[in-house]
Amino acid sequence: MKKTLRGLLTLFMVLAVQILFAQERTITGTVIDEEGLPLPGVNVIEKGTSNGVQTDFDGNYSIEVEEGDVIVFSYVGFSAQEREITASTSTLDVTLQVSADALDEVLVVAYGAQREKAIVGSVASLDSEVIQKQQLTSVTQAIQGNVPGVNILTSGGQPGENPTIRIRGVSSINASADPLIVVDGAPYNGNINSISPDQIESMNVLKDASSTALYGSRGANGVIVITTKRGGYNTAPSINITATGGLSSPAVDLHETIGTNQYMRYSWEAERNALEYIDGVAPGEAGALAAQSIIPNLAYNPYNVDQPVDANGNIVDGASLLWETDWQKEMLRETSLRQEYGMSISGGGESSRYFLSANYLDQEGSVKESDFERITTRLNLESQLTDWLQVGLNSSLTVSEQNYPEQSGNSYQSSIQWIYSVSSVYPLYRRDANGDLVFDNGAPIYDYGSTSGQALNGTRPMLANENAVGSLYNYDNLNKRTSATANAFATIDFTDYLSFRTNLSYENYLYDSNVYAAYNVGYAANVGGRVTQNRDITTTLNFINSLNFNKDFGKHNVQADAIFESYKYKGDYLSAQGTGFLPGVKVLNGSTTPESVGGYVNEERLVSYLGRASYSYDDKYFIEGSFRRDGSSRFSTDTRWGNFFSVGGSWVVSDENFLAGNSTLNFLKLKASYGELGNNRGIGYFPYLQLFETGWNQLDATGVLLGGVTDPLLSWEKTASFNVGVDFGLFNDRLTGLVEYYEKESVDLIYDQPLPISTGNSSITTNIGAVKNYGLEVTLNGKIINKDNFSWSAGLNFSFDNNEITELTQESFINGTKRWEEGKSLYEFYMQDWAGVDPADGYGMWYMDVLDDNGNPTGERTTTKDYSAATRYYNGSSLPDVIGGFNTDLTWGNFDFNMLFNFSFGSQVYDGSYASLMRGFSTPGYQSHEDIAARWQEPGDVTNVPLLLNAQNDFNSRSTRFLFDNDYVRLRAVTLGYTLPGSVVEDLNMNSLRVYLRGDNLFTYHSHFGIDPEQSVAGTTNNRSYILKTVSVGLNLQF
Amino acid sequence: MKRQNILYKSLYLIVAIMMIGCSEDYLEEPAPTQSVSEDVIFNSREGVEAFFAGVYRLSRRQFTSYDSGGIYSMYMARSVKGNDLINTTSWFSFDYDNDNREPTYRRTVFSWEYPYFMINQLNSLINGVNASAELSEEDKTELIAEARVLRAFNYFQLAMEFQHTYSYDPSLPAPPIYTELSLEGKPMITLQELYDFILEDLENSVDELGADRINKSYVNRSVAYGILARVYQVMENWSGAEMAAAEAYGGDASAVLDASSYANGFDDISNTEWLWGLPQTSDQSNYYYGAPSAFTDHYGQAYSSVYVNPNFVDEFSATDVRNTFENAYGIAPGDYREYVTNKFTFAFDSDIVLMRTAEMILIEAEALYQQGREDEAHDLLFALQSNRDAEAVRSDNTGSDLFEEILLERRKELYAEIGVEWFDAKRLRRGIDRDPIHRTVLTLEPDDNRFFLKIPQTEIDANDAIDDSVNSDR
Repeated sequence: MKKTLRGLLTLFMVLAVQILFAQERTITGTVIDEEGLPLPGVNVIEKGTSNGVQTDFDGNYSIEVEEGDVIVFSYVGFSAQEREITASTSTLDVTLQVSADALDEVLVVAYGAQREKAIVGSVASLDSEVIQKQQLTSVTQAIQGNVPGVNILTSGGQPGENPTIRIRGVSSINASADPLIVVDGAPYNGNINSISPDQIESMNVLKDASSTALYGSRGANGVIVITTKRGGYNTAPSINITATGGLSSPAVDLHETIGTNQYMRYSWEAERNALEYIDGVAPGEAGALAAQSIIPNLAYNPYNVDQPVDANGNIVDGASLLWETDWQKEMLRETSLRQEYGMSISGGGESSRYFLSANYLDQEGSVKESDFERITTRLNLESQLTDWLQVGLNSSLTVSEQNYPEQSGNSYQSSIQWIYSVSSVYPLYRRDANGDLVFDNGAPIYDYGSTSGQALNGTRPMLANENAVGSLYNYDNLNKRTSATANAFATIDFTDYLSFRTNLSYENYLYDSNVYAAYNVGYAANVGGRVTQNRDITTTLNFINSLNFNKDFGKHNVQADAIFESYKYKGDYLSAQGTGFLPGVKVLNGSTTPESVGGYVNEERLVSYLGRASYSYDDKYFIEGSFRRDGSSRFSTDTRWGNFFSVGGSWVVSDENFLAGNSTLNFLKLKASYGELGNNRGIGYFPYLQLFETGWNQLDATGVLLGGVTDPLLSWEKTASFNVGVDFGLFNDRLTGLVEYYEKESVDLIYDQPLPISTGNSSITTNIGAVKNYGLEVTLNGKIINKDNFSWSAGLNFSFDNNEITELTQESFINGTKRWEEGKSLYEFYMQDWAGVDPADGYGMWYMDVLDDNGNPTGERTTTKDYSAATRYYNGSSLPDVIGGFNTDLTWGNFDFNMLFNFSFGSQVYDGSYASLMRGFSTPGYQSHEDIAARWQEPGDVTNVPLLLNAQNDFNSRSTRFLFDNDYVRLRAVTLGYTLPGSVVEDLNMNSLRVYLRGDNLFTYHSHFGIDPEQSVAGTTNNRSYILKTVSVGLNLQF
Repeated sequence: MKRQNILYKSLYLIVAIMMIGCSEDYLEEPAPTQSVSEDVIFNSREGVEAFFAGVYRLSRRQFTSYDSGGIYSMYMARSVKGNDLINTTSWFSFDYDNDNREPTYRRTVFSWEYPYFMINQLNSLINGVNASAELSEEDKTELIAEARVLRAFNYFQLAMEFQHTYSYDPSLPAPPIYTELSLEGKPMITLQELYDFILEDLENSVDELGADRINKSYVNRSVAYGILARVYQVMENWSGAEMAAAEAYGGDASAVLDASSYANGFDDISNTEWLWGLPQTSDQSNYYYGAPSAFTDHYGQAYSSVYVNPNFVDEFSATDVRNTFENAYGIAPGDYREYVTNKFTFAFDSDIVLMRTAEMILIEAEALYQQGREDEAHDLLFALQSNRDAEAVRSDNTGSDLFEEILLERRKELYAEIGVEWFDAKRLRRGIDRDPIHRTVLTLEPDDNRFFLKIPQTEIDANDAIDDSVNSDR
């Protein structure tokens, strides 16, 4: 097949040559590497134009040029070569040398592409090879462990959810701290899970001001630039098929909980203690009374006897369990399946190239019934219509469906909360007062804990009228997403140094959420079931026009871009809710009573003028400046315009004579940049207006309420960002590296300043204060062994990131577990300091300041048993001291092996789940942690766990008792692959065939057990489901 | 060939530049679609009435959590603090324990934040109406009167929740007063100042209101007098209480009582006896927040978390229409779960009662008694008793026995509605002594600190005028 195609191509080329004008000629040739092997995909470009082709799989190319033109041959990892066309040139074979510095690689940056060598800012690039080394459901996850200075937190065990990304610290408080995501040049507003990793050519992280300044008001949090794949000109069609299948389970173990017998003993002890120590009942009598009250308190009796516990707290003889529910087992999958299939076709002719791809993913989540299914398709086309006009269209269509049972937060059916709240005393299935199963048509019925008229085993004292396991099957929680993008562009070359590009992108994102609550059980049973449907349509229209200038004057090169951009975002929201459904009917048409309808439209616009100019001399000295003026509809007419800029420069020291030819230090580049950026995202659409909100109707009367108080002069957050770095290569690039230091200070933060709640407003959104992030990033890559059939390389990257509040208009703010004041981090914990348990009475203690006569702290501390009197102190931070990654690649013959670790040290996490499990039986029925065994039992006991007490107390209130070190190292990805030898593959008519075994999150070392170390930036927990580890096998075929 | 088509190229450029257009207009175009400006509200009576509708709606919404949704949750928390009701370990159990009062607790924050939220809305309404150039003076007077009564009602809740009762010591610190939008916190004032303000709002407004209203969720003259009667009752202004209570229910007990409606589940605002309530419909419901019915009704598929003290049940004669108690689970005597009440029926569209004629009759009776007019008091009491129980026999009680009988009648009539037992124990400085049947047996001495809450920490943290010492002797 290949031969036929090549034949046709040659014939076509011969014909094409015949009809050309005399001075136009077709140059053909082959590009090979130093070892004589053909190089496919080499860019062959007429210098200073966009006229270009790529070599095919055999390294052949064919290009139309004129006499006197210069052709540039470039390829990633090789030094570019330039050849001038003379009258006699007709074939031109080129041998490319492996590049000494690999810096001629072209990277996609803001509004264009740049040679890596010319970059003056901080850009980290992930190519498709790195991305393909992991199993990614959401592509941005690939950044974790691969790019220093980027903190990524995975989002739990529901597949299809996207990670939290913080680039170079957190520079915003109430506005969004998320980076801007740009796909093929246009800001992306859909769900990033709509893009499958196999469609991605590169994902570049722009970190400093000089690389993000052109994004102006949206660049302050960093930018992730994703470029999708395209075909190559004059390239035979290539078909790539990938299939992987795997099994997943939680990456770390859950907290250890206790069984029923133990639960009963502790319950008795807690009740006895309450009677004895609080109510003053005599010890002997207290034990007997406690034994009597356990079952009434629990309201359920899982034993075959009426009073299963005796006056001494032991399980009575003959008592045996009728049930003992393992909620974790009922709720979570032991193994969940993941399968992914991808196929792409790419190639191109002389004037057009294409990339067509389809990908199917089906992944089950950690919680039973949760899953994510996605089909993505993409077609990228590009055509050189004339020698001065190039047009293209990148388009994609993605549909996904996610069944998303509640698995974080505090709603009754929230899975993890349920496991950590409801003890094994409560049955999965309904029981009668004797403890016998109740059947409905022969099948057991989930126990919702609200059986009327049944005193025993009828009413669960907590989370009544719900059963989270039942809810997995009886409720639906479906998210359907459809994302369609069309991104059209045209480039006009006026001259070989001046071109114009226009880019119009349109994105339509449809989100449909459909929640069904059962007609017969649970929270909507009393109204015969409820369907709540939301359908949100988000459209984004982005229009960019740019004039680009690029010209060499001897050793001088000047580039300039003038750009105009307009951006329009529209969110159109519709919701409807109804109740009263027949069994099996789950659509609103079946509703007897419409409960509510709602709908509104949000619109945002941004108009921007941009400019960039850069100058370089002798390819050694680079200087660049950018400017952007943004007008945003989010602010009032008076405050909506903002100016943003950056300047940067670099110096390739190793190109100077004094270092030329130095084999030890073969590459050295110094760079620095400074700029000022803005942020306006995540604050609502009209944050400066105080209005009356509709929808507060009282029966038939239309009603409004006054919205929260606002600051009419609210304006941009601004971030001043400084970056300095050194790139180096040692021993002929056996060791390469990058060290960068950054400082980002964000001022006029958009902050919800707390107001005294007695004013009737709890906060006002205003520009207050400043926060600084600064840090050091290091990347090292080494080629340890580089032999013909054996190579080994390794890379390490890490960053130290710091956060500091530099200005506040009031002395301090309390914000949940944090307190903000100048000089402290946004993420420093501030809470009561646990002082352990008083051995005398088993009560918990906290520290408090000793005050002098004027009420000021003397610096001494004492302990108190009154929680409300305890002083709050700073205690650690939820931001890690150091984060990073380590990767290593081994190739031996046809085998390849790689590993990627990521790590984080020095942060603290406040484990609210553990706090709940350590409530010490203060509320009957709640589940308990095994650690409760270490409780105080009698005077003199020295322990850190207070006495069990069935009475409200503060022992498990927020304090350092539940604040833990949160260090971890995780094996993010490991792959072992085998590529079949060429001879075998050719017999199969293939280009290549590779099989591999892959593991994700296989191993986690972490300092605090029971929860996943990746929780939230703020270091707090929210009953999240657990991140998965996955083992899978894969197959990759290329034709 | 290369240098051709300059024209075409330029055309592209011109088209693109034209599209740049006028950017300022482009940015002005987006506007909020779900909210309206101040002009729309204060330039017409309809606009202000929409604001009122919002305020009334808010009072029955879901403010924070299941036990802190609106005024109805405050009443429920008071109801379970006494001896007559027994709460399980479900919602309101910490209120039942009488220790849900620390500065960081949800109850404490809610009972402070909710009334102040309402007050800010009402201040905005009052000031907006005052400033309006479009509204007639007549409309203004009436609208402002309604808003001031509601404002006083909310300040009254703050006074009750955050300090000893008025008669204990009116010079004690009390929550601050705001009459306009403020971004600064104000300092604590005295209880005397707070009650003076409440009285000023009420006394200046009651007679500006008429009897007409859109429905019974709105404040009219009668409701305004009812609120004033409660305030006088706490302040022990007995002639005032007598007058206000009589104005509230009309003065003719037999005309405003309907014993037959008593067994209907207390879920319908159209009940003759209801002066004021929170209406609900299936599309405008506070769902499972709906205290008391969501908690007391054991047949409503909700929390089933409240039982009734058997000793209290014993106070009701068999022929009393109010005897809706039932041993629903077949529990043996001696267990606190023996009795449930079927007074309230839970459904998403169950209305919630805030004020009834019977309460006003009993306030008047109490006020008469306190003024030494025992016979009149006894007549009025018996008017109610005989309405509730066809076989009721007039007691021989006099003096303090009669007073106790009036208080018992208040509990029998109003239990689980407005926190009557707690309200009386607090204002009369009598304390609460629980029977041993209770899950949590306790005694609240007269003027026990547990009759009020501490000041929320969030307020202290953000308010420069209030510091930690405010809680030092609470």
